[in-house]
Amino acid sequence: MTLFQPLTQAFAQNPYPAYAALRETEGLTYFADYDIHLASRFRDVSDIIMNPLMVRAMEGIATPEDIRAEQRKMNWHDMPHHERFVQFSLLDSDGAVHDRLRKLVFRMFTPAMIARLRDQIQTYVEGLIDSFADRPQIDFIADMAAHVPGHIIGTLLGVPDEDCPRLRHWSERIVQYFDLDRSAERKEMAETATTEFYHYLRDLAAIRARAPKDDLISQLNTHRDSGALSEDEFISTCMLILMAGHGSTTDVLGSGMHSLLRAPDQMQRLRDDPALFPTAVQEMFRYESPLPFFHRYNAEPVTLHGKTYPKGTKFGVLYGAANRDPAQFTDPDRFDIARSPNRHLAFGGGAHFCLGNHLARLDMEIIFSTLLRRFKSITLADPDPVYKTGLSVRGVKALQLSLIPA
Amino acid sequence: MPEITFHHPDGRKTVLSAATGQSLMRVAVDNGITEIIAECGGSCACGTCHCHIDAAWFAKLPAPNDNEAMMLEYVAAPDDRSRLSCQIQITDQLDGLEIHLPATQY
Repeated sequence: MTLFQPLTQAFAQNPYPAYAALRETEGLTYFADYDIHLASRFRDVSDIIMNPLMVRAMEGIATPEDIRAEQRKMNWHDMPHHERFVQFSLLDSDGAVHDRLRKLVFRMFTPAMIARLRDQIQTYVEGLIDSFADRPQIDFIADMAAHVPGHIIGTLLGVPDEDCPRLRHWSERIVQYFDLDRSAERKEMAETATTEFYHYLRDLAAIRARAPKDDLISQLNTHRDSGALSEDEFISTCMLILMAGHGSTTDVLGSGMHSLLRAPDQMQRLRDDPALFPTAVQEMFRYESPLPFFHRYNAEPVTLHGKTYPKGTKFGVLYGAANRDPAQFTDPDRFDIARSPNRHLAFGGGAHFCLGNHLARLDMEIIFSTLLRRFKSITLADPDPVYKTGLSVRGVKALQLSLIPA
Repeated sequence: MPEITFHHPDGRKTVLSAATGQSLMRVAVDNGITEIIAECGGSCACGTCHCHIDAAWFAKLPAPNDNEAMMLEYVAAPDDRSRLSCQIQITDQLDGLEIHLPATQY
């Protein structure tokens, strides 16, 4: 097998040959650098995330001493706010705690609730386009993709428009610390951002407690007051929703646009048949999954491909690899905007299935349909955009586009 | 093996033999019933494996748990015979079960 080097720029530019090599390797692949067993085939990834014994947190699996050792390795205890609000979250809880927190926020993310945001998203996207419509060239990331998801999730939560840019600033600094390469500088940045974010949310929650509105913070205030969630869970859940609802959609907007521009026949097909926008968005998620890597621990010993793993083993699920598995998808390296069914794993699966999937898809449908309506030509101004490095993310840093208005 | 009939929204019927022990959702998905999407893979977390149970059969199924009951409040076009197919296990007693598929899951 070619050497698996997921932090290199070469891997970032095109991880798919490395993923293909992993899929063709028997069993799971042990990646010693991070003491993790990687699953890359669709079936293996699916089996792991669907298994209720495969969990996100080590509570109840390892001894308290081992958990503390692992936590120290992950810089818990010396990042007080990050530990309190980011490391304990809906995403990193399991079982009853997870179900309780998820139920409290699920209602805001159903298809019917999300559909109510359509006009608001449309208006915001038209306004952004107005701001650059007279320019022949834009950076799709900085001028469009980076604004929309954060603004809309901020609005859903109850953050005033003028504060939404700060949310993005904090989220970006916090999530940087989730990747495999952690520096002291990134650590300081993540802790500072978490602290500022916490103070902001605490103050906003107090304002909404005095004068509730039709937003998620007001609802969560009510739940906290009734004892359904604690003060720290309140802050942590708000932070998670803001962070999760934001960077990954920005990333898949960029790589989705890049995919479409590299396949002019598919772009034309979408212009000819706007009914294909929903399947096109699904295909963007499959083709360039924005969160290609997650982890699980097994709460009990588990046997996979004839090998038994003791409880507490760390497994990596590579959604980016599973979503290109030829055993699951016909011609998987082809970007096909009409692909159906398209049962990809980009939103994960099982109990942690992406809460905001409907919102992400609606943001994307509106952005792509509006751009195609308002510009008769969209082409790549820089044929070779640079992708972010890291195993946990997939997205372009910038995407220069040439535009001709319709 | 129990025989399950799926009624499609356009009036077509698909009749399948289902192995016991798996979920109704799994039977549908593995046999190309595209109206059942089941995005979360069967964890009662997405609400896209919604179906309507035929009147003659609804009361014969074990009642939904709290989680499924909550999810059913949010599926597209629910009625009083709505269920999530991922939460229904196939047993020999379900031989002859009739399912009505919804026009959309969103």
